[in-house]
Parts: sequence; C-alpha cells; structure tokens
Amino acid sequence: MGRAMARRRFLALGGGLALTGGLSACASPVVSGLTGAQPNTADVLFWNLFTGGDGANMVLMEDAFRKAHPGVSLEATILSWGNPYYTKLALATASGTPPDVGIAHLSRLPLLAASGLLEPVADTGVTELGVTPDRFTPAAWRKATVDGTVYAVPLDTHPFVLFYDVDLARKAGLLNAAGDGLKPMSGKEAFLDALKAMKDAGAQYGAVMSITADPSTAWRCFSMVYSGLAGPVVSDSGTRVTIDDAAMEESFAFLRSLTSGGLMPGSLTGAGANALFSTGKAGFLFDGEWQIPAYRLVKGFHFNVVPFPALLGPKPVAYADSHALVVPRNSGRSAGRTHNAALLIKSLLDDSAVWAQGGHVPAWLPTQRSRAFLDQSPQRNYVQAAFSAVYDPVAWYTGAGSDFQNTVGATIIEVLAGRLTPKGGVAAMRADLKRYTTARPPVTMKEGATR
Amino acid sequence: MSTVSTVTTTTRPPSGTDGGGRTVDPAKMFNRLCATCMTLFALIWLVPFVWAIATSLRSDGAITEHPTSLFAGGWSLHAYRYAWDNYPIGSWYLNSLVISALSVVFTVVLCSMAAFALVFLRFRGRAAILALVTAGLMLPSEALVLPQFIEYRSLHLLGTYWALVLPYAVAPVSVFVFHAFFRGIPMPLIEAARIDGASWWRVYATVAMPMCRPAAATVAILTFITSWNAFLWPLLVLNQTKAQTIPVGLSSLVSPSNIQYAEVMASSVLGFLPLVAVFLVFQRQIVQGIATTGIR
Amino acid sequence: MTTVASTRPASTPSRPAALDHRTPSSERRAGLLLSAPFVLVYLVFVIGPLLIGVVVSLFNTTTVKSGLGEWVGLSNYTKVCADPLFWQAMWHSVLFTLFTTPPLVVLALVFAVLAARIRRGRVFYRIAFFAPYVVPSSVVALIFLWIYTPQVGLAPKFFHAVGLPVPDFIGSTSGGWTAVVLMTLWWTFGFNFVLYTAAIQDVPSDVYEAAAIDGAGPWQQIRFITVPLLGRTTSLVLILQILASLKVFDQIYLLLGGGPDQSTRPVIEYIYDTGFTSYRGGYGAAATLIYFAVIVAISAVWYGLRRWRATRAAA
Repeated sequence: MGRAMARRRFLALGGGLALTGGLSACASPVVSGLTGAQPNTADVLFWNLFTGGDGANMVLMEDAFRKAHPGVSLEATILSWGNPYYTKLALATASGTPPDVGIAHLSRLPLLAASGLLEPVADTGVTELGVTPDRFTPAAWRKATVDGTVYAVPLDTHPFVLFYDVDLARKAGLLNAAGDGLKPMSGKEAFLDALKAMKDAGAQYGAVMSITADPSTAWRCFSMVYSGLAGPVVSDSGTRVTIDDAAMEESFAFLRSLTSGGLMPGSLTGAGANALFSTGKAGFLFDGEWQIPAYRLVKGFHFNVVPFPALLGPKPVAYADSHALVVPRNSGRSAGRTHNAALLIKSLLDDSAVWAQGGHVPAWLPTQRSRAFLDQSPQRNYVQAAFSAVYDPVAWYTGAGSDFQNTVGATIIEVLAGRLTPKGGVAAMRADLKRYTTARPPVTMKEGATR
Repeated sequence: MSTVSTVTTTTRPPSGTDGGGRTVDPAKMFNRLCATCMTLFALIWLVPFVWAIATSLRSDGAITEHPTSLFAGGWSLHAYRYAWDNYPIGSWYLNSLVISALSVVFTVVLCSMAAFALVFLRFRGRAAILALVTAGLMLPSEALVLPQFIEYRSLHLLGTYWALVLPYAVAPVSVFVFHAFFRGIPMPLIEAARIDGASWWRVYATVAMPMCRPAAATVAILTFITSWNAFLWPLLVLNQTKAQTIPVGLSSLVSPSNIQYAEVMASSVLGFLPLVAVFLVFQRQIVQGIATTGIR
Repeated sequence: MTTVASTRPASTPSRPAALDHRTPSSERRAGLLLSAPFVLVYLVFVIGPLLIGVVVSLFNTTTVKSGLGEWVGLSNYTKVCADPLFWQAMWHSVLFTLFTTPPLVVLALVFAVLAARIRRGRVFYRIAFFAPYVVPSSVVALIFLWIYTPQVGLAPKFFHAVGLPVPDFIGSTSGGWTAVVLMTLWWTFGFNFVLYTAAIQDVPSDVYEAAAIDGAGPWQQIRFITVPLLGRTTSLVLILQILASLKVFDQIYLLLGGGPDQSTRPVIEYIYDTGFTSYRGGYGAAATLIYFAVIVAISAVWYGLRRWRATRAAA
C-alpha cells in the first residue's frame, strides 16, 4: 500500500510538472481556452478544403504570401471537402472562433450569408486594396452578391467542360484547321454526330462520364443541358418548384439517348471513366476542368478541353461553380487582423495564375487577362464559360456537396441507367424537390440581385 | 475459481499427470481448452494495436508493395517525425490534458460534496436531489447536443474549455460512487468529529474525504478516460485547429482516400499511447472501478 | 481487490432518513451549501438543455444565429414524424443495436465464464480485452480504416486467405455494417467482459465446491450455477448495451459518414445533419426530443420491470 501510494504521488507530481511545463510553453492558447478569447495562434488563420493538385497549388500561394509579408504569420488548415467543411465553418463562426479567411463555394453562399455568418466584403477593407467589382468576371461577382450585399471575393470559376482525345478527334475529322480546337458545332444533332464519329474512329465509346455513386457529376451535366431550355428548377429562394416539365423531359430524353444508343456507358465509376478516356477508348469525357491535372500525369496521352457547345437551346450554357474567399464574422476580430485577412485575400487573387494551373479560370480579371494565364492551355480555351456560367439555384439547401445535389443526382443517375423513363424522371425530380421546398428554411432569404 | 479446479481434481482419483495419462481428467481438459481459446482470442484482440504500431514504423512505399510482410523495407521513426511536424499534436495533447484534468478536479469536488450531503445530512430537497441523480443515470444526455449547443452559444461558452468541463463535472455516476462509499463510513466517526466541534465542512474535508481515497481514485480515473475520449461534443464546441482535443484533431485524418498509411498510423499510435499507458499503470483500479459503478 | 472490498461497504449503518423538526439548522444549511454547486451546475448544464430543447422545438430557430426565430407550434414535430429519412435513421440506430448487442453480451458472458476457469493469465486477458476501450473512437476508426483498406488492408487479406468473399467494407451498405460492427465489437467488448468477470467473482466458491462434490462437471457447473447466478448482471449489461448502442454516432460517422447514400446514418447523425449542417435548430430539437422520449421510455420499462421482479421476489 505504501509503495502504491508513493507511486501515485510520484505520478501526480510528474503529471503536475508536465502540466506546468506545458502551460508555460503554450500559455496563450490555454489561457484563451479558459477565458474564451480568440486563440491567436497566428496573425491570420485560413481554412480551405483543398487536397491533391489544388491543395499543392494553394500551399504555393500561401508560401508566396508568407514571403511577401514576412511580419504576418499565416496558419492554414485543410478540412474535409463538402458538408464537414461547411458545418465546421458555421459552428466555428457561431462559437466566435472562426478563421480570418475561409474558402467557400459561391453555390453555398446564400445560406452562409443569410445566416449572418459572413462579414460583408465592403467591411473587410479589401476595396481599399483595389478589389473592386469591375475587376471580376461579372457572373461570379453577381453570384457573390446576396440580397444586394457582396459577401465573398470570387477566386475562380470552374465550369463543367468537354474533354476530348486529340488523336481520336483528328481521326474522326472533328479538329479545326489549326488543330487546336474542335470544328464549330451546335445543337444536339451535331453533338450526337460528333460522338458517333469518335466511335467510328475506333473508340469503344463516343463519350464517358462518371455516373455510378457520383450524383454531383450527374447533376452538373443535367443542369447544363436543362439550363439551355429553362430557368432554375426551384425559385423564390428555393421555396417553389419551377420545373418546366417539357424541357426537363426533353433533357432527360437527350441524356438517355446517349446511353441507350451505346454512345456512352449508362453506369460507370469515376475510375472507370478515367481508365477508358486516358487509354483512348473514349472520344469525349464530360467532367469538371479540375480533372485536367490528373490527365496531364498520363504519359503520351493527348487531350484538349473546350466548353460544351449549345445542345438543346440556341446558346451554349456552362454549368459552373466558383471558389471564393470569405471573411467569417467575428465580433472580437481586431482591425489589425481584419487588415491581415484583406492582405491575404489580395495576395491570393494576385497569385491566381498559380491557382489556374489546377484548371480553374481566375475570376480576378487582371490575372485572367495576363500572359501568365493566357499562356496556359487548355485553360484559356474555356474562359468564355465563366461568363455564361449557370450556378446552382439560390436556396438554403443547394450547393457543392450538398444533400440536394446527392438527392437529385441520384434520380438523374436512374434515368441515365434507363431504370426510369424521362417522364418518370420528371415526376421523381418533382418529388425530390418537393421535400426541400416544403421544408421550413432555417433562415429567411430574399432573392435579390443574385440572378 | 482456482479453488474450483483443485477441488475437482482432488475429489476424483488422480488420473495420470500432465501429458501422457491414458484417462485424462475431463475438467482439466476443459480448462486447458478454455485457456487455449481465450489466449487465442486475446491475441486476436491485440492484433489491431500491433498492426498499427508495425505500420507506423514502415515506409508508405514498402507498405503498398508488401502490405502484410512486416519486415519488408526496414523500420524507421520517420512517420512519427512527419506526424508530429504536420499536425499540432502537441497542442491537442495539451488541450486534452487541461480539459481532462479540470474535469477530474471539478467532478471529484462537486460530486463528493453532493454525495456527502446526501448521505450524512438532513436538509430540504434531499429527496428531490436523490431522485434527480437517479433519473440522471438513465438520461442520454449525449443526445441533447443540439439544445446544449444553443444554450452554450447564448452563454458565450462555446470555444472555451468550460464548455467541455462543466457538463462532464456533474456525472450522476460519480455521485453514486461517492454515495456508496460514504455509506460505508461508520456514523459514530462523523458524530465524534461533530462533538469535537468540527463544522460540517471540516468533517467533509478532513474526515470523510481522506477516508474515501479509493472512491476518489475510481471517479478520477473514469472521469479522465471519459473526458479524454469524448468525441461528438468537443467536435461541435472546439473548432479552432489548435484548440481541439486529441480525438477530434485526429478525426480530421480519417479519410478513405488518405494513402499515407505510415503517417496516419503513427498519429494513431500517438493518439492511443497515453491512455493505454495510463490504463496499464492503473488497470486494476480502472477495471474494478468499472465493475463497481457498472455504468460508463 | 482492496478497492472493491472497500468501495462495497460491508455494513450499512442507519442513516438520517427523514427530515424532522429536531434537525439542527446548521445541518440543513450545510446540506444545502454542500449540494448546491452540484445541483446548480446540474440544473444549468444538464437539465437546462432539455428545457431549452423543448422551447426551441416550438420555434424555427437557426442553430448558428442568436434569437429563437418565429413561433411554429408543433409543426416541427409533425414534420419530423412525416420525414421518412428520420425514421430510416431511427431504424439504422435500432439495426446497429440489433447487430451489436447479441454478440457483445453473449461473447462477453462466454469469455468471462471461460476466463474464470483459468488460473493464470487473468491480468493478460483483462489487458487484452479492455485496452481497446480506453482508446478514443477516432483512433479506433483510423486503425480500422487502414485494416479495411481494399487490396492492402489486413481484413481483405484475411477474408481472401480463408476463402470468404471480400466485402466492400467502406463502399457498400452491407460491407459498411460489417465493418462498423466488427470495429465496435473490438472496441467495446472489454467493458461487458469486465462487468461479467466482476459478477462471477461475487459467486461464492463454496457453491462450486458443493456442486463438485455432487459430481457436477465443469459444463454443468457453468450451466446450472454460474449462468443462472448472472441473471441480474445480464439484465444490467443488456440495458447498458442497448442504451449505448442506440446512442451510436462516433463509429458510423467516422468510418462511413453515414453512407453510402445515407444507408447507415444513425439518428444522432440525422440530428447532426439537420441541426448543424443545415442550421435547422428547431427542427433538430424536435427530432432530438422524439428520440430522447424513446430512450427514456426504454429505460423506464427496464427500470419498471426490475422493480416489479424485485418486489415479486421479495413477496
């Protein structure tokens, strides 16, 4: 017993020593944890959700900021993409311990802004640094505006685009005279002909797309096709279903005609699409431009990327989203920290040619019009897509990685696979949307200048 | 139980010694079978630990090439260095330590005081408090995180250690452990102290508390483990990167697409080592504490 | 042993039971003062959220915004009850309970009974089985995610080696349940094992001696003495296990994220998703309270049954 007691005392003493040692070493975060003040672990805290190629580019841009502002320490944290990130951002802001700068998709902005989680851009001091509306892609800037107030500084536009295999396209006679793009085409007939030509040129499939367990990609593709014919599927801040039944049925029928005719596989995983396209077994790939870095890694594979042509409507439509920089609201943030946040935002914009390496179109016009960007191919091919971008409809439940995308995407996958008729697809879509439009929004939103 | 087997063997005619007897004692056989079975399962139970440690000492390339041959590619501590440099594990440790230590102190003080009052003192509301604590044993307070979050937000407690310490400091189980123990203290002892002129507070602090060290140890250890391992509530409350606890911080590494196996396993080993060490030192007390309280 | 002996009082001396007019005021005051800190913190931080939950569930409260929002009456409750996703999530929690409770209770009983027959190595078993219980859930998830990794993980290799079809542990619903159940078994098994071991040690050894003299073999001893005497413990282990399993969140959230396609999402994650990811505080509070009521009902039924049995046994 005595020995046990001695051992316990010794352990308690050791623990106490370790605790005091640790306390004095990292006193400030501990004290702030006890008092509830913002833990100032760095002069500017930055949260993002980028891994892989985008993540590496972001680290380069962060390093450039550190180099340019040696007196300002930057702490960058990468969180899991999608709902976990947005949940964390919201909870941190509600707790009064948000980062100073965060990344947000513009499609997720309406809810963040309407919940009062974001600082209006005008209050962050970036305007004084030259960040003004006239220097951004107008579609992105409009989408950054919620109810008349701008809440985010767009960093890029990342559209859903058309990848093609250059060798197959040449064989199929689809290349233009210069060989740096496709011959102009318009309308669904021309598009179907192009797919057939690819197949005739020796490809197993005219086109491929990631479908299985990938509702977001299905939704992006569908959204692009449907938007050529009709307006958003929900309106009045997402409280009313505004489906154009005829247009939706036509869109579904068109997509189904791709898979039912053998031009495109009706069920394929992302890895499968990658394998088929990168080995010359598919002429086209429908995907986001962020896949460019992945295909660059394939040795001896020649591909190019162009915006989608007009399919069902008279004009080409690009489904897109934008990464943007936001300043989460924090009543305790000092003017100095806010200024650091503004400096970081400006620095990231100025560096967005690095960001464009990931395939994205910079929203910052000084970069978009610079040599550093215009020399990047194929990125320069689809700059126009950023200007004709169609985003997710404005609602509290839409946006990148949201349940909404998963739900409607699942219905679209059913149609692509032929398990639902185009007509049945319309009914299923209406039922999906109804679940969201009839749910009570957690915040009241006014649909302002966002459209 | 040792008595069982000796009794069984001695009540029967000795049937050959270990090894080559013609008629083997079925009881002995049975026990030997038990031992083999149990040892096998116990070893299986240790596999994840061993596997994690072994993986953490290898290099990612060797792991992908020869996943199951533990010695291919040599061993090194590189992954630990990487994990320590890339994740603020030091800060996470410190947060966990401070939160758990505060929880222990508050739990022991608050719960022992309440239990002392409930056992030795007559006062208005005693029955109500007892009922409240009994009911609290069964209430799934973890399920209430949403209203809890809303309450703490309006009290401006989110993002502080207190948000984690306060709800854990009033575990009804701990009151019951002290309650059960105080009931074992002879009443004359308390009365004698009172006759000597000691105030109730002095009786509590200088007579009752020193006698209930074992109960305090049980409560302290169990509170420490519970509070160190808590996940959902700290996930909601502490959001700043360096303000997180070990479990929440490490949860950010959970991703099926993470292929840095060695680094992730090194972080896991760093995550379980302190508690497993605490467990190995105090395993007797911990296990008996669980057995006596019967409630997590 | 010493701890057990001393925390379990041998005798229960008479205690001051009822308050009467002879109780000195100093004692009353001391009682209030000593219990006040606990009661205050308990009321504010444990009972408080319950009451706030009731209030908030009647409003359209935004989780991340101060203020209650507009009054909506009971409509949050009707909407929760009408949402098939809520009931699916409830079912997933029940399913998890059905999957984990039988093995966790039965295996713990079997192992504890077997371990009790072995003289040596008890500390080793205790350490091996209980050590996982002190490991944080996220660390358990990290280790098991690695074990479940397709192609290179230990579990697929093992399944392959013994000739079983390798399930898609993370990508499919059935594989996901397998993964979560195996992980939970490993993680929490030790707790029940310890409870049973302690209960077996309380069985007086002369009962066995008597049985052995009567010629009862080891199997008969287990069958007719140990297991029946563990009835009360089994009842406790069972209810603790059911309550704990119905509260499942960590394992499923960490390992599967409630997926694939929300097919394993437990009810706490449903509350998390609606209340925190979508900020629907009022709605989430309504879901919380419905779930809370179910748990309290189960506890109450168990408690009632136990009382009823106890009184019947006494009578």
